[in-house]
Amino acid sequence: MRDNNLKTIRFKISDYVVYISFIGIFILFSIILFDRGFLSGQNLLNITRQTAMISLMAIGTTFVLSAGEIDLSIGSIVALSALVTAISLRINLNMWLAILAGLSIGASIGFINGIIVTKIRVPSFLITLGTMTIVAGLARWITNLEAVPVTNDTFNYIFGNGKVVGIPILLIWTLVFLIIGQIFLKKTSFGRRVLSTGGNKISSLFTGINVDRIKIAVFIISGLSASFAGILYTGRLEGARYTLGQADLLLVIAAVIIGGTRLSGGKGTCVGSVVGSLIMGMIANGLVLMNLNIALQMVFRGLIIIIAVSFSLRERKRS
Amino acid sequence: MSIMKDPVLEMVNISKSFSTVEVLHNVDFTLGIGEIHGLVGQNGAGKSTLMKILNGVERKDSGKIKIFGKEQEYNSPIQAREKGISMIFQEFSLVSSLTVSQNIFLTQESHNIFGLLKDAEIERNTVKILKELDVENIDPKEYVENLSTGSQQIVEIAKALSHEPKILIMDEPTASLSSHEIESLFKVMNKLKKRGISIIFVSHYLREIFKICDRVTILRDGNKVLEEKILNTNLKEVIVKMTGKDQEFQVSRRKSQIDRSKPPLLEVNDLEVGNVVKGISFKVWHGEVFGIAGLLGSGRSEIINTIFGVHKKSKGEIIIDKKRVSINSTSDAIREGLAIVPEDRREQGLIIDFSIKENLLFSMINKILSFIFINDKKATKITNDYIKKFNIKAAGFWQVVKFLSGGNQQKVVVAKSLMTESKILLLDDPTFGIDIQAKNEIMNIISDFVESGNGVIFISSEFDEMVSYCDRILVLKKGKIDSIVDCCKEENISKEMLLEKIQ
Repeated sequence: MRDNNLKTIRFKISDYVVYISFIGIFILFSIILFDRGFLSGQNLLNITRQTAMISLMAIGTTFVLSAGEIDLSIGSIVALSALVTAISLRINLNMWLAILAGLSIGASIGFINGIIVTKIRVPSFLITLGTMTIVAGLARWITNLEAVPVTNDTFNYIFGNGKVVGIPILLIWTLVFLIIGQIFLKKTSFGRRVLSTGGNKISSLFTGINVDRIKIAVFIISGLSASFAGILYTGRLEGARYTLGQADLLLVIAAVIIGGTRLSGGKGTCVGSVVGSLIMGMIANGLVLMNLNIALQMVFRGLIIIIAVSFSLRERKRS
Repeated sequence: MSIMKDPVLEMVNISKSFSTVEVLHNVDFTLGIGEIHGLVGQNGAGKSTLMKILNGVERKDSGKIKIFGKEQEYNSPIQAREKGISMIFQEFSLVSSLTVSQNIFLTQESHNIFGLLKDAEIERNTVKILKELDVENIDPKEYVENLSTGSQQIVEIAKALSHEPKILIMDEPTASLSSHEIESLFKVMNKLKKRGISIIFVSHYLREIFKICDRVTILRDGNKVLEEKILNTNLKEVIVKMTGKDQEFQVSRRKSQIDRSKPPLLEVNDLEVGNVVKGISFKVWHGEVFGIAGLLGSGRSEIINTIFGVHKKSKGEIIIDKKRVSINSTSDAIREGLAIVPEDRREQGLIIDFSIKENLLFSMINKILSFIFINDKKATKITNDYIKKFNIKAAGFWQVVKFLSGGNQQKVVVAKSLMTESKILLLDDPTFGIDIQAKNEIMNIISDFVESGNGVIFISSEFDEMVSYCDRILVLKKGKIDSIVDCCKEENISKEMLLEKIQ
């Protein structure tokens, strides 16, 4: 154990890139957007509320990327699940059944993604690009592009605008899923198998891990997390629309990568992904406070994401 | 052959064909308790197939496998493991993004009452396993990707041991280890032997077989040609049996007197690359093979990669034929008449999924271009010429190089580098992991290249090869020149001497 002590002392900056970036951006915005109320309690809670869905999808995506795959269909799953839930509520289905209906959408699309990727052996990038389009089409089709309002107040409270001892319920949902996700990834043999599959598929196979089953499972997790994000969108906006989740894919993947999950698999952290999502949320919020028009916001958001992702990947490569 | 009492393993009359080609023909193989048994043969002799059958990766066409006298049938590595057989692969099978202990106990983790993992416990058990092997410098919490190859190999063994095997198959375990690491590996192997674990040791390095093994089995073209106690045979006999010919083992060449009063072909002055190498100066004359000897990580590969424009030099100048050249990219290097056979032929030397012709295409582009179009017929002709000239064993120019043996792949790389009409060839361990015959052929091609007045810089992990092949050898120690020895003048320079110098 000669060099043991050395190793524990050695501070690996690469493991902390996401936290350092978070603090850096936070301080920067606090200074330049101080007069515009960036630091107000209301605004900060707003950010966590707006980021909840991104965080949730980021947790699901952490599993997929850790297993060495990618799921591009999450944005579309958000819309379809949200609409199915909202329609179920409109026909007065029991609230919990409506939620179940929404979640089953994500689970089954995830399952289909997983089956095609593992059994027909097509790269997940292509398959989920396909399902993304199919699901987006379905979401447009079932409502004929119309929005579906939700009038069930209990639903809107639990999954959207409620508060528990002053804390927005969306923040609570985020924390619940964060804790579950992190424990599953780091503390269960399932999580270990996910990381191992992404780290070295062949050796995992030879060690006796059912690699295909693990991959199918992570796609289901990813689909479920996107569905739940859809349900939260529905609750918060008191209705669903086919456009929900449309712009989220890039934010989610960027958040997860900045958070420290490896794009090629084998390494992942849900905590990092959620902090990465908060960075995305802060940036979006900051750009709004700067009073930029929507077009410019998009341009800047894209730019900042490219800079942030390149920076964090570079920093990690260096170590 | 001696009949052993109580063998752990008997493989009897094993045959195996792939489509119509028979790769194993009624092969017998026996292994005693606590025995280290060397399995040797040239590429394509059938050793890998035999071991894959034993490990359950491939299925035998006929024959029997008995373990402790009982016939066993299984058809996956996992089932083989249950029968007490574990294999350590040539390419490491560890998950580099997990820690040492997470790897060793992958799928055998301990859980608490909530079903959560207890990493502390597997870390303790890892320390225990490593201690039994007298290994103390591996931290169970370290990520495998941060370990040296030698340590990874030990972890690989520890992983296999966590399944408590009776039979351990090691496929070329020393291939990427430094001599120091090989020593520690051998210590571990002897430890296992004392615990009654039987080891099958597959290696190209025959000297290692004589150092560590109790018995040796030799395969040639799918047949067993020798099974003998190591004490009753010798290197010469093993080589003859392996190749089927009385072949010169040493690669060597006729060294001719070099006139050092003439200007050198290549001159490197005060080369510095980052903090890896510093103050490197040397000259290579026409018709000379100049060796660079050093341990892995001494900076030997960095020197030639920098000359070839892969890395940026921080300082220094390169002079070719009295002209100071500036090489900032690999295409600059090729223009100046340099060519390289890189260290990793599969990654750096070849496009593994392309055919032989496609691999050679870019190197011959100037010869086959008419206006902007590629003359395909001419390309095929040139490829066929090289296949013939270099004796590349392939079904044709269209064969994908992935399916060639290591030696033949290397010949394609050498063909590629010589095709560009270069005058200085940089060789980074060109004979690594290839069989003797291919090795001889490759070195002969290079000898011809040198004799026509060109220069070669040669790196090899086999030092006896360097001593017999090079005119002079630069001894590199931690990125700095220790000395330059003249192999022609210093009569008694030996492998051992070189090994001592670089430590």
